[in-house]
Amino acid sequence: MLYALRKAVYGLLLILGVTFISFVLMVWFGPDQTYTLVGKNASAEQIAEVRHQLGYDQPFMQRYLDYVTDLFTLRLGSSNASGEQVSRILARTVPVSLALMLPGFVLGNLLGIALGLAAARRRGQWADRLISALSVTGMSISFLVIVIALQVLLSTPYGLNLFPVRGWQVTDLPSYLSYVAVPTLSLVLVTLGYNTRFYRAIFVEEAARDHIRTARAFGASPTVVMWKHVLKNSLVPIITRVMFSIPLVVISGSLLIESYFGIPGVGKVAFDAITSGDQPVLKAVVGLTAAAFVLIQIATDLLYRLVDPRVA
Amino acid sequence: MNAERRIWGQLRDDPAGLAGLVVVGLFLLVAMAVWLGLIGQDWSAADGARWETPGPDHWFGTNILGQDIFERAIYSVRTAFEIGLVVAVSSTLLGALLGALAGWYSHSWVDGAILWLKGVLDSIPFYLFVAAVAFALQGKGWAMHVAMIATFWTTTGRLVRAEVMKLKTREFVLAARTIGLPDALILGRHVLPNTIHILLVQASIAFVAAIKTEVILSFLGLGVQDGVSWGLMLAESTQEVLAGHFSNFLAASLMLFALLMGFNLLADALQDAFDPKQASQ
Amino acid sequence: MKSPVLAVRDLSVFLQDGGQPRAVVDTISFELHEGEILALVGESGCGKTKTAEALMGLVPTAAGSIELCGTNLAALPEARLRRVRGRDISMVFQEPLTALDPVFRTGNQIADVFRRHRGLGRAEARRAALEMLQRVGFADAGHVLRSYPHELSGGMRQRVVIAMAMACRPRVLVADEPTTALDVTTQAQVLARLTEMAGEAGTAILLITHDLGIVAHYCDRAAVMRMGRIVEQAGVDQLFAQPQHPYTAALLGAARGNLLS
Ligand SMILES: Nc1ncnc2c1ncn2[C@@H]1O[C@H](COP(=O)(O)OP(=O)(O)OP(=O)(O)O)[C@@H](O)[C@H]1O
Ligand SMILES: [Mg+2]
Repeated sequence: MLYALRKAVYGLLLILGVTFISFVLMVWFGPDQTYTLVGKNASAEQIAEVRHQLGYDQPFMQRYLDYVTDLFTLRLGSSNASGEQVSRILARTVPVSLALMLPGFVLGNLLGIALGLAAARRRGQWADRLISALSVTGMSISFLVIVIALQVLLSTPYGLNLFPVRGWQVTDLPSYLSYVAVPTLSLVLVTLGYNTRFYRAIFVEEAARDHIRTARAFGASPTVVMWKHVLKNSLVPIITRVMFSIPLVVISGSLLIESYFGIPGVGKVAFDAITSGDQPVLKAVVGLTAAAFVLIQIATDLLYRLVDPRVA
Repeated sequence: MNAERRIWGQLRDDPAGLAGLVVVGLFLLVAMAVWLGLIGQDWSAADGARWETPGPDHWFGTNILGQDIFERAIYSVRTAFEIGLVVAVSSTLLGALLGALAGWYSHSWVDGAILWLKGVLDSIPFYLFVAAVAFALQGKGWAMHVAMIATFWTTTGRLVRAEVMKLKTREFVLAARTIGLPDALILGRHVLPNTIHILLVQASIAFVAAIKTEVILSFLGLGVQDGVSWGLMLAESTQEVLAGHFSNFLAASLMLFALLMGFNLLADALQDAFDPKQASQ
Repeated sequence: MKSPVLAVRDLSVFLQDGGQPRAVVDTISFELHEGEILALVGESGCGKTKTAEALMGLVPTAAGSIELCGTNLAALPEARLRRVRGRDISMVFQEPLTALDPVFRTGNQIADVFRRHRGLGRAEARRAALEMLQRVGFADAGHVLRSYPHELSGGMRQRVVIAMAMACRPRVLVADEPTTALDVTTQAQVLARLTEMAGEAGTAILLITHDLGIVAHYCDRAAVMRMGRIVEQAGVDQLFAQPQHPYTAALLGAARGNLLS
């Protein structure tokens, strides 16, 4: 009970912190929308009217409180740019981003775990060194370089020319696969080096534990040792990493990929909102991301209990 | 110092780490030569035709404006070091400071506040944060530096906090407290110097992260504002490669890769040298 | 005399210790006969645990021959060795608190041994595990079966490990200080149960300890180890009456001193 209360307070403080910082940065310092809205040769009254509608004439704290209240009551408003309801925009773009990022995210982690296990099992041998060397190589290549190279190699006449160069005309499964292929591969290549290295370090540590010697002393094969004992004991850090990277991958990762390939997902919408000062959209994205973090934290705690009997 | 010699000895026996050091050293020399005005000064002169192929006049060819790609790639070494050094040093120092405070006053309100700030910064999507900072600072060139420093310190802070909490219970620190030395002196003189192994490794990791982030930000139009960088060259190349002009892309990506690889190898070697137990695993 | 169940010849273990490899176990030889309990005594750090691990084939950097019932384990390929481990030769560990996998129920960990080496199905293996837990002296074996290791005390966990070790009635049991981490009353209980079960199964025990009281009470012969070497081997009575090596004498002297104080 006390535990739940502490979590709730912490979550609330986190959301307040994130919204406050984003409010200061994106709303207080953000671009002024007045003149894009009022049109040419507006009278002073018209300008004042628009500023009032946008809330610009309110004092700082009042505007922040309004923002937080709107957020907690889920009154997200409408985009300044298009007039579309923010909830509509999110309902349209979030699924696109998820469909775009999920395959690469899952594959990148699964492959990282498999390679990490393979390396930890052959610790110090050439296979381990090869995997580690490839990880460092992967970590040294820029996201943008990977995206450009894969696009040229897979989607242009200079390479294999297999997939669409950009865009997102998804109507059915084959079209989905053809549009998602290059972004997925990019995401896997970008994250694989980091993932492999992270997971290898965890597995090496777990493989050095006493109970691993016990398993081996009772005839467990290296495969059983790694995939059963080491993997299950490593689930807590694995879950932590996977869970906490979800919001970042979905927003930050999709922002890059969507900007590059011109895909109408939430990352692109959020980025456009920043550059154009579309505050209702921004407020919603940032606030909901913070809320997602809190929910994820709770879900992560629950998952810990599921995988580790020692977590009370 | 003894530890220094041991670490140097370890580094010497690590061919990959040594290679990394050499690569980073070479790039540093290039950066200094650019600073001194010896090379790379003609990066903005449009003295060629558009998209010339590599030749004796323009070793790596030219870009759409007829600018020499070799000059631009060389000048970008300086840009990379400026960004990398500023961000790595500042974010590491900030992380050391906040981490040390949090660790020293662990479980007090100071610690709580710093942890809260770290949690908040870690939960704002990074590129949105940078974009917002960039706009808040009205397109100033150092907006991206500020954004990176403000977010990169959290990892260093967490590690230093844990280390300081460990050091706090060690005899030499207890002794210093018993004889009544002020907290600030103990922290600065006895505690922080013992976190140097974390700081060096984190700084080299932050350097890599800063350069990689610059590339993305420059592509998004939020990075380098005046001057040239590998990120800007890559951003330029996104259109060129579709038309079959690869010079910009190859020059920027290969140099970027070499420097990042050098730093990553160096960071690994440092980590191993500071923590031999971990290295032998 | 019958041929020994375990004959160890010139066993060495090398460890990398800051540069050059060092022999932490140095060309030791001994034999273990059916039903016998041989003590391996020596001070902390002399290489007892490394010897035990080498006997199980758990250290890659070991040399020498380890003949178990005529088969040289040191020459077996890893895959064959796995079928011997835990079935013909098994081990009880020094630290009961960390010896069991924390995320699996104890019952499953014992059952795994039956499934792996006896080819039993899930339900049969579970029943066999329950029976083993009863045999190591748990009144509420059903409860222990469903427990996770952290829910059990050190002595209970050590008995669970003994249940695993004796599951396949091995020819040889290597018991590495099985009671050092336990309190005195639990020590006697655990050792009594261990030797009793080994006696029933005809299992020979290499009992590693630094407690000479345990040697005197439970063992037939003893080998004294110092800095990786076996300096003296003799029947327990003879060893206590007439130690040949000065180190043994010193060890005995220290033990008597402890008893007096
Ligand atoms: N991983 C390791 N790396 C280097 N040296 C080691 C390692 N493990 C053990 N040693 C060394 O090997 C020697 C033998 O260790 P071992 O664990 O066999 O001693 P022990 O006789 O079992 O001691 P104890 O009674 O404390 O259990 C010791 O000197 C120890 O320092
Ligand atoms: Mg031992």
